[in-house]
Amino acid sequence: SGELYCSLPNPRNVHFESINMKNVLHWSAPEGTGDGVLYKVKYSVYGVGKWIRKPECRNINRTWCDLSSETSDYEEQYYASVKAFLDGMCSEWMETTRFNPLTDTKIDPPMVSVSSTEKSISITLTAPEKWKRSPEGESISLLQVYPGLQYNVSVLNKKTKKRWLFSISNNTLVVPWLEPGTAYCVSAQIHVPTPLLHSVFSKEYCIATLKDK
Amino acid sequence: SVTEIRSGFTAIKANIQARDPIRTLSILSHPHSLHKVQSSDRCCITHHLFNFYVDKVFKHCKTEDSYVNRKISSIANSFLSVKKKLRQCHEQNKCMCGQESTEKFKQILANYKELNVTSAAMKSLGELDILLDWMEKSA
Repeated sequence: SGELYCSLPNPRNVHFESINMKNVLHWSAPEGTGDGVLYKVKYSVYGVGKWIRKPECRNINRTWCDLSSETSDYEEQYYASVKAFLDGMCSEWMETTRFNPLTDTKIDPPMVSVSSTEKSISITLTAPEKWKRSPEGESISLLQVYPGLQYNVSVLNKKTKKRWLFSISNNTLVVPWLEPGTAYCVSAQIHVPTPLLHSVFSKEYCIATLKDK
Repeated sequence: SVTEIRSGFTAIKANIQARDPIRTLSILSHPHSLHKVQSSDRCCITHHLFNFYVDKVFKHCKTEDSYVNRKISSIANSFLSVKKKLRQCHEQNKCMCGQESTEKFKQILANYKELNVTSAAMKSLGELDILLDWMEKSA
């Protein structure tokens, strides 16, 4: 279809927001435009010639578009682009920078489960899963995506406020020689040495060691 | 080391990639991704690629930004030290070049020659994360 006269201000800040490789394109409305602006979106694989339209994001009035499915191969890199329309006018296509799902995603903290005996607590950590198309889809742990993935674990004695920090590669940790009948709080973070990525610390999971018999 | 290369590149990635307006050509990853290279050929391809970056790429990557230039030369120095180690493997015949790696490297050089030297060098530099992602995944 012939392009309209493109004098509409451009969409701004077109960028990917990615968490666990759920890759969503975001942008801000063109400056000075109120309601009624519609958008269309296209994307391309870096090194491959063609732009591909995203039908589900054609003539939309929201300012985001989920491109997780289209950018799920993290061995590739991508560009995406947005165009705005209002009252018969249009903007230029505005592109993202090159998006590399492997290095440009954010990672959620691990899931933490704890159990205790009289003098120790056992901690089991589970890395988040990579985004998947449907709940029935194959689950891929981020551990498979980042083989060098490690966990930083914080253990706090609630009574003495003493804190220990551990850095482990496997997903279980037993903390021995603790005080019976005492509350301990555990929090964990994911750390990928290269490419350098780390999650925030998880919320605290507190448990008490058993009382002395 | 590779981690130093990665952190150096991360610091200038957006700047370098913004200087490469060509979306339709990749030096390293098309038409065939590095990730399709068989494990037996990985050492040889890595050896070739480090030579490629040292001999053909870094010298053509001057910018008007002194910070970026410093980062590029520190990356180049890290490449030189890794390249020496790879040369030892090559000399001890632990880095055999099969048919596939020879073909793959020919393709990379062909992609490189499709552009003028400065554009090709800047594009290759902007693709360092493709090389690093592949090296770290297959480490």
